[in-house]
Amino acid sequence: MATIDGSTIIGESILISGSLNGDEDLTVRGRVEGTLTLTRTLVVEPTGVVKAEVQVKNCVIAGAIVGNVTATESVEITKEGRMVGDIAAPRVIIVDGASFRGRIDMGEVDVDLERPARASRPLAAASRPALKAPGRAAPEAKKAEEKTAVAAASGRPPAPPAPVAMGAVKRKVIVKRK
Amino acid sequence: MAGIEKAPAPRSGAHTVIGSSIVIDGEISGDEDLVIQGTVKGRISLKESLFVEGSGVIEADIETANVEVSGQVTGNIGASDKVELKADCKVVGDIRAPRILIADGALFKGNVDMDVKGGK
Repeated sequence: MATIDGSTIIGESILISGSLNGDEDLTVRGRVEGTLTLTRTLVVEPTGVVKAEVQVKNCVIAGAIVGNVTATESVEITKEGRMVGDIAAPRVIIVDGASFRGRIDMGEVDVDLERPARASRPLAAASRPALKAPGRAAPEAKKAEEKTAVAAASGRPPAPPAPVAMGAVKRKVIVKRK
Repeated sequence: MAGIEKAPAPRSGAHTVIGSSIVIDGEISGDEDLVIQGTVKGRISLKESLFVEGSGVIEADIETANVEVSGQVTGNIGASDKVELKADCKVVGDIRAPRILIADGALFKGNVDMDVKGGK
């Protein structure tokens, strides 16, 4: 009878309102409202909607979350993921196509490590749109501008946007060489 | 094709499983089968079947079509179709359903009401 232990699934038509605590992986395809506390991984599938204060170890968002997410390890918003709320986690991954509004706190970033990064990033970010804008007003330039704007709005330039943008540029260069 | 009907459709068709380490305090509602191995306090209302497995503990009022209890339930159970108390289950509360099955070995304390309002 006790079938698959260690994994919980909230089906599509299920609504849970209140508090949910647990020590196992949780997959949400339905709705959860209230508070959600896990010591393992939360996966919100594309049909899943979580309107809750979330505290987990890992969080993968392919559906929607409205509320603050605190993760002891990582938060990932996939390309289908939508989220409104603040994220506090040492690792935050936001994939291209994901939508997110809120603040991100990756904890105490080492100041000595952060400074050179800070110095180089805004320069690179500033030079890129300036170079692109006159020649070809590509949508990518706009995207990059938006990304830097988001980074500026969040108070500090967080790590994710810059690597994403750099990665895109690098890929482009490779394509040209071919 | 008969094999398909004989397959344990309710359990394998259940999309929702509340695992054994999960504690839910609040309300669960939905239109699909629900398997509970963990703890639920509050209220459960479903349009399908509820399975409370051996490790499941429920302190809630239940409103569903079918209930199958192998674990513990404290609270009133109302089912539009059937309530089944399996051996080794512990149920405290009132049960209201047109069909009620209590297996040998089940522990139950409460009222039973099989009266169908429509009348037979």
